[in-house]
Amino acid sequence: MKSFLTLLKNELKLNIRNMNMVIFAVIMPLIVLVILGFLNGTKPAAYGVEYTFMEQSFGALCTISICAGGLMGLPLVVSEYQERKILKRFQVTPVSPIKLLAVELTIYMIYCLVSMITLILVAMIFWKVTIHGSWLAFLGSWLLTMISTLSIGMMIGGIAKNSKSASVIACLLYFPMLIFSGTTLPFEVMPEVIQKIVRVFPMTQGIQLMKATFLGLTVDNIKLPVIVMGTVTMLCAGISIKYFKWE
Amino acid sequence: MEKVIKVDQLSKTYGNLLAVDNISLSVKRGTVFGLLGANGAGKSTTIECILGTKQADKGQVSILGYNPQKDRRKLFQKVGVQFQECDYQPEIKVSELCEETACLYKTPADWRELCSQFGIGNKIKNAVKSLSGGERQRLFIVLALIPNPEIVFLDELTTGLDAKARRDVWKILSDLKKKGLSIFLTSHFMDEVEVLCDEICILKKGKVVFYGTVEESKVVSGSKKFEDAYLILSDEEVDRE
Repeated sequence: MKSFLTLLKNELKLNIRNMNMVIFAVIMPLIVLVILGFLNGTKPAAYGVEYTFMEQSFGALCTISICAGGLMGLPLVVSEYQERKILKRFQVTPVSPIKLLAVELTIYMIYCLVSMITLILVAMIFWKVTIHGSWLAFLGSWLLTMISTLSIGMMIGGIAKNSKSASVIACLLYFPMLIFSGTTLPFEVMPEVIQKIVRVFPMTQGIQLMKATFLGLTVDNIKLPVIVMGTVTMLCAGISIKYFKWE
Repeated sequence: MEKVIKVDQLSKTYGNLLAVDNISLSVKRGTVFGLLGANGAGKSTTIECILGTKQADKGQVSILGYNPQKDRRKLFQKVGVQFQECDYQPEIKVSELCEETACLYKTPADWRELCSQFGIGNKIKNAVKSLSGGERQRLFIVLALIPNPEIVFLDELTTGLDAKARRDVWKILSDLKKKGLSIFLTSHFMDEVEVLCDEICILKKGKVVFYGTVEESKVVSGSKKFEDAYLILSDEEVDRE
């Protein structure tokens, strides 16, 4: 445990020094929130609904940092450490691959958490955003979305040939998820075929679930998102541990 | 005397290239073993197959009685390694790299003391990338000694060091040897090998062409100087061809 914390402390310091994630996972979501806030203020999401536009968008805003960490940060760090033979140095120490992966995973979870907390504070203070559903259900769906997306990132980083191909694969996943999963375009306006395809993205399921739990809407089928996200997590985490390469 | 490293009929090919050809060797506790040979003779591949970071095609390896691949985590509590080409995280500082390494071991050495022993005690707060080549080389030796190892592997240990720094490193390693440390090294500096090594093994194209002490190599080759002996022995096959 002590070695986990020491590794975490040092790796987190390095990651912050690099600034990429601070910008993309913490500052950028905040900028988007502020822009949306100025555009929409506290007006309701649609005529006659109880919740505001900001409240409706809150779940999706939380996924910006999840996307940045899981589909850009984590795969690049893992593949870069392989390519630069940093992991090879760890290979001749007693550390276990699972511990190293867990350290990197935790770093990106910290970013997502920091982002979520800053978003909710700013949204509550300036645009009177309140949760209509339950905190517990919202945090649960946030956690599931985050873990499943980060596990995809970890797998890409682990199995990609080099950091270049990791970055290509990550982009190929990042942008469709960002565009089609409802982070930017509302899910409902997309053609049915695309809806069907993007339904298997954990991000799509996650955003739907986060939105519903935040707004206190009834979820018709809670099993589907939980199953999709759970399966993705198990599969990706399993693959990244099984096919872990030191170099 | 107890043998801490035992290698038996080790072979490794890359495609058609036989990089390591049926090598057997052993290292006794508290001695220094030098693996010599020209660039591309197979030294680094041999070390990597012994450590288990590369999969050998054939042969057996045992270090301190452990199988390096199966017992990796137990073995590397007791073994320190400095690789020839290994990198560090881009923005990392000396103190962070040392701390991160030390935290992996049950009974690590005091890395601050090691750093000052190796003359980089005043560089602890610096970024690793800002160090000079020689300072970085010394840092990597420090990292290999942090586990308080029973055996240390040093691949080209003093490459990039100036004359004074090399002497200092020899002195520290000799002292550690007296305390019972076993050392497995590769080097291109024959003066260093002559001072440090109890036994040497010269490789050529993946094959062992000489195995014995420095003195024996002089006798076998009929030379007075060890460097001449090394050149004659490592080129032996060329003369025959």
